[in-house]
Amino acid sequence: MTSSDFSQALLVTSKRFILNSSRTSKQGTLINVGKESPEYRALTNTVTMAAEDMAEIGLAAGQMALVRTEFGEAAFKAEAGKVPQGMIFIPYGPPTCQLMGGDTDGTGMPTSKGWEVDVVPL
Amino acid sequence: MGGKVTCTLGEVKQRADFIIYWGGNPAECHPRHFTKYTIMQKSKFLPRGRKDRTMVLVDIRETKSVKAADIFLQVKPGKDFELITILRALVKDQAVSDEQIAETGLTREVLDDLVQRMKAAKFGCLFFGMGLSMTRGKHMNSAALLTLAAEMNAFTKFVAMPMRGHGNVTGADVIMRWQTGYPFGISFNRGYPRYNPGEFSTVDVLVRGDCDAAFIIGADPGATMPQPAINHLKRIPTIVLDPHVTHTSRLARVHITTAAQGIGAGGTAYRMDEIPMPLKPALKSPYPTDEYVVRRLNEAVAAKPFWLPEGKVPPMLTAQV
Repeated sequence: MTSSDFSQALLVTSKRFILNSSRTSKQGTLINVGKESPEYRALTNTVTMAAEDMAEIGLAAGQMALVRTEFGEAAFKAEAGKVPQGMIFIPYGPPTCQLMGGDTDGTGMPTSKGWEVDVVPL
Repeated sequence: MGGKVTCTLGEVKQRADFIIYWGGNPAECHPRHFTKYTIMQKSKFLPRGRKDRTMVLVDIRETKSVKAADIFLQVKPGKDFELITILRALVKDQAVSDEQIAETGLTREVLDDLVQRMKAAKFGCLFFGMGLSMTRGKHMNSAALLTLAAEMNAFTKFVAMPMRGHGNVTGADVIMRWQTGYPFGISFNRGYPRYNPGEFSTVDVLVRGDCDAAFIIGADPGATMPQPAINHLKRIPTIVLDPHVTHTSRLARVHITTAAQGIGAGGTAYRMDEIPMPLKPALKSPYPTDEYVVRRLNEAVAAKPFWLPEGKVPPMLTAQV
């Protein structure tokens, strides 16, 4: 997707969400299978969000969505789940690394939770 | 602000009748925490186990840990610091406006009830996770929570403990602390330790491109750090010691496979309450231990002439080489 396509898509369906990346127990067990395993990759490439939010931006379950921050972007498979409206949830992994900026605000700790992102159906 | 009023998990198991998890999801991230140390254990002082304990969960979303909680407080994202500050005020009967409380997504009744329960507890414990330390506010959120725990001791016994993740991250902090006086973000490049998070911390050093080599032991920054830091690891010679193939080992120039700690290699690991635990290897590994590899590397480096032009090692370094 080019930046102009992206800007156009933003006008039509985009909404700002708060990204909450975290760990899951399934992820913990899959580490033992391997971070290169298809199951682990599928898990870390899935975005969970409220069904109402998905309907609002025209995103169907199983559809790919582009999540974009000011630092980077990555595509995730969407699924509906128990997440408050206005928030999206993604398990930590290489795709979330692409969304993170390098600034630590002088703390040494990068911001990996609670920052605003755009979600656009692909 | 400063300092941590804390205890061991053994004391929590024996005595804590009021437990708050803040910004953590132990049901998924620390699955044995409830059953081994906090809410399920019966003890001398809490003989009825779960029935003698109250558990409060504070989080921005309904996680799997909610089912285990007696009280769930859903705070608005990014409002943890405000909520802790309001609690600190309410504990001391200071005025807080309804607007200030509403900003956190909670009500005065809920917070008054929480404060009353905290004061009525015999032994309270605040466990805090990355939901607190990796959102806006970062270490200030943690510091505010530690202050709340300290101030609660004017009324009853109260402690706080971070929910550390991964194997032995506490050990890294503890060892650095007793060797240098600092827990992380330390530079040795002048021959003595200097501490400055944001300058010498790993992510910052990598993002700025300050280092021209990286040596990584038992960690996978290639799957956890921000992309600019990962990009620098790809650019420079990176050496990884890890039992597994990881994202970091894939980008590294050298990957030395080592024995898994606690399975094929012995040693000491620190529990999240900073108690050292001996590890006994259950199996014999064909791979060397991390310690063996690091010792061999140290010996090889020590055998080379010192990097200063005259090749003389400054006296302050001789003890370390």
